[in-house]
Amino acid sequence: MSFLAFFLIVVSLVTFVAAQLILKRAMEGTKTSGFRNTQFVWRVTWGVVLMTISFFLTLGLLQRFDLSYLYPFQGLSVIFITLMAAIVLKEKLNARLAIGALLISIGIVLVSLS
Amino acid sequence: MQNRPSGFGNPWLQLVLSVACVLVSEFLLKRGATEVANTDSAWSWTGVNGLASPLVWWAILLIIASFISWLYVLRYIPITIAFPLSRVVDILVPLGCWIFLGELISPLRWCGIALVVTGLALVAKPIAQIEERL
Repeated sequence: MSFLAFFLIVVSLVTFVAAQLILKRAMEGTKTSGFRNTQFVWRVTWGVVLMTISFFLTLGLLQRFDLSYLYPFQGLSVIFITLMAAIVLKEKLNARLAIGALLISIGIVLVSLS
Repeated sequence: MQNRPSGFGNPWLQLVLSVACVLVSEFLLKRGATEVANTDSAWSWTGVNGLASPLVWWAILLIIASFISWLYVLRYIPITIAFPLSRVVDILVPLGCWIFLGELISPLRWCGIALVVTGLALVAKPIAQIEERL
């Protein structure tokens, strides 16, 4: 795998994780301020832009690598999103959830490696 | 997770729908992207040339549907629970290939599936407790 491919996989992962966190914050906000406010629109717009970047990068990578090869990297998103949600969004993260997320990530890697 | 709607608006049902759409779109994307692959083009890294495949467009429609469901899920369920559960799709793909296409699953892959199922059970346990209290 070239440096460019590795870089694009990382960018795809980071944009995906950031998009999920921004979208979660946007939807949380609708409980108090509804859907008709500029903050909600901006957050969803940023979320969609980042998801779109991640989508096209993945599509480009799929043309060069097997789905099974790219899946371990997608598996890492479980760990990153769980940790970042606890740190950035202050969601409750207990040992059970953390171990569960870790097992899912390792499982996804094993499924795609074999 | 309080005051959540029931019926079609149930966020758990929407999570299932979102996963189902992602599952089908993964197969369509892989087939579509391979169909029109042109690795000689510098632009192919961006994936834009994948849009030449109708299968990719069907996949995009399903991704939009799953995205709308997912936004709805995010409104009611913590992402620390919803996102790990949504990755059930990662074992449904090989299981689908095994059940419907007769493909063999290696022992290592079975171990991976077992780990994901165990992880899902650990994540789902607090949900059962929350549901009982409601």
